[in-house]
Amino acid sequence: MSDNNKAVVDIDRSVYDIKDVENEQDFYRMEDGFTEDIVRKISEEKHDPDWMREFRLKSLEIYNKLEMPDWGPDTDDLDMNLISSYVRSKSDMKGKWEDVPEDIKNTFERLGIPEAERESLAGVGAQYDSELVYHNVKDEVAAQGVVYTDMESALTGEYSDMVHEYFMKLVPPTDHKYAALHGAVWSGGSFVYVPKGVKVDIPLQSYFRLNAAGAGQFEHTLIIVDEGADLHFIEGCSAPKYNVANLHAGCVELYVKKNARLRYSTIENWSKNMYNLNTKRALVEEGARMEWVSGSFGSHTSYLYPMTILKGDHSNMEYTGITFAGKGQNLDTGAKVIHQGKYTSSMISTKSISKSGGIGTYRSSVTINKEAKHAKTSVSCDSLMLDSISRADTIPGMDIRTNDADVGHEAKIGRISDEAVFYLMSRGLSEADARALIVSGFANPVSKELPLEYAVEMNNLIKLEMSGG
Amino acid sequence: MDLKMKVNHLPALTYRFLKSNDSEIDEKDLHIKSTRTPEPEKIPAGVIVRESISEEDVRGIFAKAKAKIESKKTDIPGPNGDTAPLNDSQIVRTGMGVEIDKLMAEMDAEVMLITTKEGSKVTEPVYIDFVLKDGECALGSQIVYAKKDSEITVIMEYDSEPEAKGFLGIQTRLLAEEGAKINLIKVQMLSEGFVHFDDIGSICDDKAYVHTINMQLGAGKTWGGNRTTLLGDASTFDNHTGYLCRNKQSYDMNYVADQMGKKTASNMIFRGVLLDEAVKTFRGTLDFKSGSTGSVGDEQEDTLLLSPDVINRTMPVILCGEEDVDGRHGASIGQLGDDTLFYMESRGIDEEAAKKLMIRARMESIARMIPDEAIIVRIQQFIRTIL
Repeated sequence: MSDNNKAVVDIDRSVYDIKDVENEQDFYRMEDGFTEDIVRKISEEKHDPDWMREFRLKSLEIYNKLEMPDWGPDTDDLDMNLISSYVRSKSDMKGKWEDVPEDIKNTFERLGIPEAERESLAGVGAQYDSELVYHNVKDEVAAQGVVYTDMESALTGEYSDMVHEYFMKLVPPTDHKYAALHGAVWSGGSFVYVPKGVKVDIPLQSYFRLNAAGAGQFEHTLIIVDEGADLHFIEGCSAPKYNVANLHAGCVELYVKKNARLRYSTIENWSKNMYNLNTKRALVEEGARMEWVSGSFGSHTSYLYPMTILKGDHSNMEYTGITFAGKGQNLDTGAKVIHQGKYTSSMISTKSISKSGGIGTYRSSVTINKEAKHAKTSVSCDSLMLDSISRADTIPGMDIRTNDADVGHEAKIGRISDEAVFYLMSRGLSEADARALIVSGFANPVSKELPLEYAVEMNNLIKLEMSGG
Repeated sequence: MDLKMKVNHLPALTYRFLKSNDSEIDEKDLHIKSTRTPEPEKIPAGVIVRESISEEDVRGIFAKAKAKIESKKTDIPGPNGDTAPLNDSQIVRTGMGVEIDKLMAEMDAEVMLITTKEGSKVTEPVYIDFVLKDGECALGSQIVYAKKDSEITVIMEYDSEPEAKGFLGIQTRLLAEEGAKINLIKVQMLSEGFVHFDDIGSICDDKAYVHTINMQLGAGKTWGGNRTTLLGDASTFDNHTGYLCRNKQSYDMNYVADQMGKKTASNMIFRGVLLDEAVKTFRGTLDFKSGSTGSVGDEQEDTLLLSPDVINRTMPVILCGEEDVDGRHGASIGQLGDDTLFYMESRGIDEEAAKKLMIRARMESIARMIPDEAIIVRIQQFIRTIL
């Protein structure tokens, strides 16, 4: 069988790649690099309370002391002196779509965000470069007491004490170098609070667009789902491709209180000049459930391992993820879980596809502490190699410190089976269609977890195109 | 002398907090006096044993294989956090890595060469026994070189006086030429006062086969490494490891199947039991290099945890730079299932007796593969004594 027949086309990124010119008249851009002076200027721009300014400066100090990890993808081409930490439109954040500046509005229209809001979302936040340009939550959801606002408003408004209590407590700046950088220059992002017992029936969504070349996006997402409450939060991201490196070092902190449930879905489609060094973490209390659904398709380089801390007894988590590493991409993704409470359970299921020289690495850790009696964990990771110039590596780790645990792990690496292709062809499918069907089937456990419109987007992203068949 | 070295590097680094990227041997005041491998009890027909060969001789034995390894290198990048360059200077890559080579060179350890004649199928095993006295510190280095289409079985047993303290470090390197077959069996029953390492590195040429069986039952601290390079087409590596760690024993291991040739096969089985405050770190890697088309690899780990104070670290890695391969890993870690206990109790076996029965069953499932009934009996006695 010809190698051409196995080809999977690169993603058609045209809709994401449209660049909007940001002129000085309408946009403010901080000088490149990360210095104390720049951090002070950001703090001033954002009218930070004193504690936040001090927090930023302390984080910068930590950032300068920490080293990059030696275990992940190479980031030598990311020159931090050429990254601007803060770029914003001179227009303020709007609560009405028609008030958003025309050029920015056009970008989000093309990405289908307002349409999605009308049809299937309870609220939307749209971030353009470093600041949110639009934020809205449906009246009926707001009436339930659900708070969905931008981080800056939360920091200085009614919920300032709550922000102070939770901000970067789960991901402290000492966690790693880019968590420290985030602490120093964070900007934008969303704050969500779902009151006790409130179930939000349709999802909230934040969409992050990094349009400026050579810029960094450092949004902070803080979600607190109070006791017995239920929320589905969707995060989407994209950027046009430039010849210079862009950096995304966001931070997501999720607090899932007693008997609550939170589903956090992400379709990551950054451009292939993006260094995606993002940190996500959830603290799950008694009887609560955390669900992650994650699709990683974009970025030049990714370090992404959402962590769940199962603190409360009977808490549980499920992580379902897919990573598609194409030409020029080095995507190092996976999940981490720590079992602390008794009768906790975790299930990690990942799929990885590598093609055209892409490097896909599944990396994970499962830690079961001594006190986590009756813990159960199951890890399953499948990798599919579509050619012999790519890499698919699986590097899981388990640290089990009690005998009263049940640990299962399985991993598989392989190719599209000739027998399966032959079988489908014997049922009347062309070879190209047979291969397409097999890859779709491989990704199906992830796409079925997504809302329909996102599943469609994901399937488009991994669509097969055969030639010569 | 003081010994301080990093060994058992994971082929691809990962999160530091897992503390499994490598392991440190840090031992003080070792008085290593013996650096010689004891003579085999009997040398079977078809086997030639030479004591104390030079480093030049060692390089000469592996030169052709080394050249073939170089010729197979491709431009496909290594994994993120690749540690391969750390051990580039080894004549034969081993599981524990270059620091063991350096130690052996520094201590001028004598290298014993065990060779088979071409086409010679030696059915009788070569026995090498290390029996250590209290306070004894020893090193030993061996090369098993099976020439084309030959077969050899080497059984190495490490014993000591009860309650003895000491140190034993072994490095065994294997070369299986085209169509050759090497069975290497190691049984470690040292007393708990011993610190021990056992480092293995193998190269398999076309259609060659290496089978290693490891029984790790004694010693207070043990490091084990086992790296097999499946260099030739249709070469095969099988491994069976059984370990029993109790009290404060620790066992740190690093197994790698480096699959370079076409249609190679590796199959690694690990069965272990942790009791009391034992600590185990397992690193197992299937590494499918670019060009290893049609290769398969499987590693299965089954660990029984029988105390709330044990620590079990498991790093099952699959690295893949080739499309046409099939690699699998499975791990099952936990205590005795309620169903098993219930079944045993319904037949009048109480929980303690059931646990002992399961420990013996696990260990014997590996031990039974040793082609020597007397050694199997000694293993059974050793396990009975410590339980």
